[in-house]
Amino acid sequence: MTTRKITSLADLADVQADARKAIDLRSGTKDLRITVHMGTCGIAAGARDVLTALMAELGRAGTTNVSLQQTGCAGLCDQEPMLTLTDPGGRSFRYGRLTKHKVGEIVRDHVLRGQPVNEYLIKA
Amino acid sequence: MRELSLHILDLLENAQRARASVIAVTVEIDEAADRLRVVIEDNGTGLKVAPEDATNPFYTTKAGKRTGLGLSLFRAAAEQTGGGLTIGKSGLGPVGVRVAVELGLSHVDRSPLGDLAGTLAGVVCTNPEIDYVIAVRCGMQECRVRTSELGADAFRTAQAVQELVGRALGAAAVPL
Repeated sequence: MTTRKITSLADLADVQADARKAIDLRSGTKDLRITVHMGTCGIAAGARDVLTALMAELGRAGTTNVSLQQTGCAGLCDQEPMLTLTDPGGRSFRYGRLTKHKVGEIVRDHVLRGQPVNEYLIKA
Repeated sequence: MRELSLHILDLLENAQRARASVIAVTVEIDEAADRLRVVIEDNGTGLKVAPEDATNPFYTTKAGKRTGLGLSLFRAAAEQTGGGLTIGKSGLGPVGVRVAVELGLSHVDRSPLGDLAGTLAGVVCTNPEIDYVIAVRCGMQECRVRTSELGADAFRTAQAVQELVGRALGAAAVPL
């Protein structure tokens, strides 16, 4: 881990802001919750790469209102790898057959702009 | 599974589902003995079945499913390299589970270890409430990390885990 020398109140505020941003990504009290399904089926289909891509995209976007979690199989194994995005209103959006590229689009359009990417949603 | 680190991820998911608060992961690259060893222990709610049933691919405790492939796939990956998988009790909790896997390090059928550092970082990042005790031994290089000792910032903890594990594995003289 890197350390930073704090010589002023401004430095301290910067450190606090960075830490808050990092913690926000995982605390469960934020506006959006993204859950990656990591059952055996999901892992075999590429869920770890989806999770890695999500961490990178969310970190790059600098968003502070998203919590990132993982869970097991949702029973839709043929749709793996998949994630569930739950918005502040409690509505769930389930995305399936994901790739790193699709994850980038979902973060850009749904997480940052509030526009679901209908093309990648699992149809009921 | 194309990588051993994905099997490890699968077992870690099992431990999380067993509501473990402490999970220990040890990976040892023993070049002298030509062995790759993985041990995963937890203090969760324990196995509901006998160990031999736990590795039966047609047995699962999950509602709505008819197969339980995680342990059986890892066992098959180990056995095809002259190794094996054993399930026992862990000292981490009263009914904790310990899964030990041994593989032939240079065996032609051994799957690559894959991105173990990234895998562990992802798990640590998304489960900040769990205390992960991670040990990676590779020749003279050894890394030991306990996530509860790295502070409350889970994202930075994950970065530290990735860096330390990556550095330890970088000492390997054989392809992993």
